[in-house]
Amino acid sequence: MPSTIFNIVSWFLSSLGIALILKKCGQRGWYAFIPGLRYYRLGIACGREPDALKCLVLEIVMQLLSVCSRFVGSDETQGRFLLLLQLFFGIILVVFEIRVLVGICQIFGLRRRWIFFWILLPSFAPLVLGCRKKYQPVHIASVPDDEYVGGLAPAELSAAVDADESDDGLVVHVRARTAKNFGKTRYLLKDINLTVPNGSLVLLLGGSGAGKTTLVNAVTGYEKADADVRLNGKDIYNNYDEMKYRIGFAPQQDLLRMNDTVTKTLNDAALLRLPAGVSAKERRAKIESVMDTLGLSGRQDGLVAKKSGGQKKRISIGMELISDPDLFILDEPDSGLDGVIARELFERLRAVADEGKIVIAITHTPDRVADLFDKVIVLARDSGKVGRLAFYGSPEEAKAFFSKDSMERIVMAINSRSEGGEGRADEFIEKYAQLTMEKEAVCHG
Amino acid sequence: MDEKLRYRGRIAQTGIYLKKLMRMFVYQNDWKALPMAALIAGLVTFAVGGSLFKTQEGTLSGCFALVCVCIWNGFFNSIQSVCRERPVVKREHRGGMHVSSYIAAHMIYQAVLCILQTAILLWICRQAGIAFPKEGLIFGPFLMDFGVSMFLITYAADMMSLAISSLVHSTTTAMTVMPFMLIFQLIFSGGLVRLEGPAVKLTNVTAAKWGLQNLCALSDYNNQPMVTLWNTIWKFRAMEIDGQRPIKMMTDYIAENDMRDQLLLESGQYNMNPDYAFDALNVLKCWGALLLIILVFACLSVVLLEFIDRDRR
Repeated sequence: MPSTIFNIVSWFLSSLGIALILKKCGQRGWYAFIPGLRYYRLGIACGREPDALKCLVLEIVMQLLSVCSRFVGSDETQGRFLLLLQLFFGIILVVFEIRVLVGICQIFGLRRRWIFFWILLPSFAPLVLGCRKKYQPVHIASVPDDEYVGGLAPAELSAAVDADESDDGLVVHVRARTAKNFGKTRYLLKDINLTVPNGSLVLLLGGSGAGKTTLVNAVTGYEKADADVRLNGKDIYNNYDEMKYRIGFAPQQDLLRMNDTVTKTLNDAALLRLPAGVSAKERRAKIESVMDTLGLSGRQDGLVAKKSGGQKKRISIGMELISDPDLFILDEPDSGLDGVIARELFERLRAVADEGKIVIAITHTPDRVADLFDKVIVLARDSGKVGRLAFYGSPEEAKAFFSKDSMERIVMAINSRSEGGEGRADEFIEKYAQLTMEKEAVCHG
Repeated sequence: MDEKLRYRGRIAQTGIYLKKLMRMFVYQNDWKALPMAALIAGLVTFAVGGSLFKTQEGTLSGCFALVCVCIWNGFFNSIQSVCRERPVVKREHRGGMHVSSYIAAHMIYQAVLCILQTAILLWICRQAGIAFPKEGLIFGPFLMDFGVSMFLITYAADMMSLAISSLVHSTTTAMTVMPFMLIFQLIFSGGLVRLEGPAVKLTNVTAAKWGLQNLCALSDYNNQPMVTLWNTIWKFRAMEIDGQRPIKMMTDYIAENDMRDQLLLESGQYNMNPDYAFDALNVLKCWGALLLIILVFACLSVVLLEFIDRDRR
């Protein structure tokens, strides 16, 4: 009996402590009193959602095993097997709980020795952390439960649609791109509206986690969003099976089979991406043309593995370019390349755009090639951690809009303070939305 | 522009990937699987080949060792084949590749590899002087039936590891999972450890169980002599009871009257295993089970790889 009372008091104190910690992190505290949910919510609070989710699943499994073991005697084979499973999942659960605690230590700016304190005194440590005012989160890692922070309200922004809409080029209206995480909807992108004319080389700019790749995936239809995306008048989402051949995407890494020859790599890409009716002669001509465009002529012999970083990058780009896409997107094509090679590569992309294609490139070193771009899309993560459009226009207009003299300084301006930036994302998102609405008002008289 | 263009379908794509895999055989050192198979086969036949097909004990341990070689070969053939190029597969899937074509190409390529490995294994067994029986149960010649059986065991293991390779995201994980799969196969084959209760049901999902049953049935295990009893009695020859050695007297009598072989065969009759019956239907049942395993794991590979777009960056 005394041990039962002790257990109840201990559980209550630890729940109370965790509830106070959750409250400090902007979460609902009462979750701490629901068995199995406390580490999940703590994980959410410290921005460790994958670990939090695993904790929750493991807690459920442990509870189920515990219920099952009550119906089976511990001396029987099944009972021993259940005990073994409990031990197995219990060890994994402890590991993930420790990961969550590491996250809590990080957001509260505590030393990791707190984890031992927490494990040894599970009812006292959370209470100290939750009650004492001197322990406050250094930064909030998650979106608070009750409020949407940052930027303009979605309804206001959705009205701000680019006025220069036409059937030519790429028209993007992303209302929202969400991700479900254990029943909870999280916004990754919101209200991104822009029109890119054919023949444009576009720079996609933004800090880490701003949603650049998410936007690219949404635009190409690879990960569908709540959006309308049209390429030369044709809806990409509704005609994805056809349109995916008209869209090229060169990933950041050189995703090539290193132990294949350059010619065969491009030939296989051509076989996969060109229509079945294209003859072998036309295919060879196309391969030669792409190699010529990318400066790979005369280097087609030998294995891909033997080529230099720049050549591998160009082979990777060539694999996409071979299908002559109307929209060509490149994720950091210059990563790992020196300035001269990178410049040369972008000049070749400029030539591709000049053929009437739309080329969108993500790069983290934009200034060395900024003069080659027609447009720049600036994505920023608002205080609600949602990717939003902070600017779309020419590079010169961008510099004027942000009052900065370089693209890299623009990124610094919108990056959060924890990333060493100025933390002005919300300000520019709002400013750009106002600007767009004013433009639209002028267009509509 | 609005004209509907046709792109290469599943069959054409299978051809593209098959050619690519054949090139990889040369360039990516996949050919090393063949000399490795020869090396393992050589070691195993050296160790257990002497009494294979001669006695029940020799046949059981020899067949078990051959099943182990087949499963080892099969696992190693494809355990890294998909996961080592997973990001490339993801990229190609985005560009219009059909997962079913990719897996079909792997299946054909792995089938060729397994046939070659089986041929090497059989050739080495012959070179090691193993006396194969003459008569088979399905195709006539024993070697033909034995070869098909070993191919199916290797291929079933190959498809299992292909499914694992399609599931995991890195070669490190694949190579961590593989020993567990191997141990599971060996323990639940029923040849190494005598299993009881619910564990017996688990044996039905292993290629090792059906493989061992298949090879033992083909080898006519039940009609072979059993030597364990004789060897055990032999150890007690020196035992004295009331100043006499009755066991020595008995064994001498049996040996002098040429009754030893008869005794071994008789003891073999008491050690019969109905699962190893020398019967065409029994062998066909084992082949069916192995084919089912192959089919299930091949389909599983396709299903698992269809989720490749969900891989995180």
